[in-house]
Amino acid sequence: MRRRLSPEPERTEINVSPLIDLVFILLIFFIVATSFVNEVGITPKHKDTASSSSNLEEPISFDLPSSGQLLQDGMVIGLEQVAPLVRSNSSDKPRSVLVRVSPGARAGLATQVMDQAMLAGAQAVKLSPLTP
Amino acid sequence: MHQPLRKYIPATITQSYFQMRARNRLIESTDTDAINVSPLIDVVFILLIFFIVSATFVTLPGIEVNRPQAVTGKALEKNAVIFALSGDNEIKYAGSTVQLEEVPGLVEQASKDKGKPVVIQVDQWADASILAKIVALARKKSSDVSIATRKPRA
Repeated sequence: MRRRLSPEPERTEINVSPLIDLVFILLIFFIVATSFVNEVGITPKHKDTASSSSNLEEPISFDLPSSGQLLQDGMVIGLEQVAPLVRSNSSDKPRSVLVRVSPGARAGLATQVMDQAMLAGAQAVKLSPLTP
Repeated sequence: MHQPLRKYIPATITQSYFQMRARNRLIESTDTDAINVSPLIDVVFILLIFFIVSATFVTLPGIEVNRPQAVTGKALEKNAVIFALSGDNEIKYAGSTVQLEEVPGLVEQASKDKGKPVVIQVDQWADASILAKIVALARKKSSDVSIATRKPRA
């Protein structure tokens, strides 16, 4: 009766302190190493050569010369005109957009043109460098 | 104090009461006043597993660029090969400046045949023709090439 009631004073317990230390170190390492990169961006859809051959239509092309202007068919246009232009040109069938950039053109403008073209529902948006 | 009470309490209850007291005293004497750390370990383990699972180990370019504004910006894949094109037209990868010709090799090396997407952080004042060249080169090795933009205002 007495033996059952009183627990043995020399109970062998596993010392968990080193385990906790190790787990804490691992935890801190993974917290520090985890980089929560939440990048937002545009992914210009592009078509491979096989599908573009079936689409014989010319892409709507925009030119970005080094002067920093935006040209469409030789005419200077504003950024806000890109989306309506793409939309009106692709009313019957979605068309692809080609953005031709010259050295010296701003990447921000090129990105915004692609963004506007994608907003207007362009089938594919291609960025191509123009050699001077 | 207990003596007069005992008269009215049934024998069985008093017995159990005294037994309980005796047992409590025994437990108290053997207890070493240690904090029970088991729930702490449980929580720490759960946190550890969460961080292990969510760890992706992305190599960042090491510079902060002034991203262009865009309206169709969508959340991109987190586990990506990230390049940066600075305002001075320098291509940055993993903290160092790289040449344009090195881009396809770096994409291939970083994605290890897993076909990781490529994200290009471009400064809005950078040269667009260099951006176009990086996109063209990266597309040779990866089917998913994106340009990072500013978060659209909600």
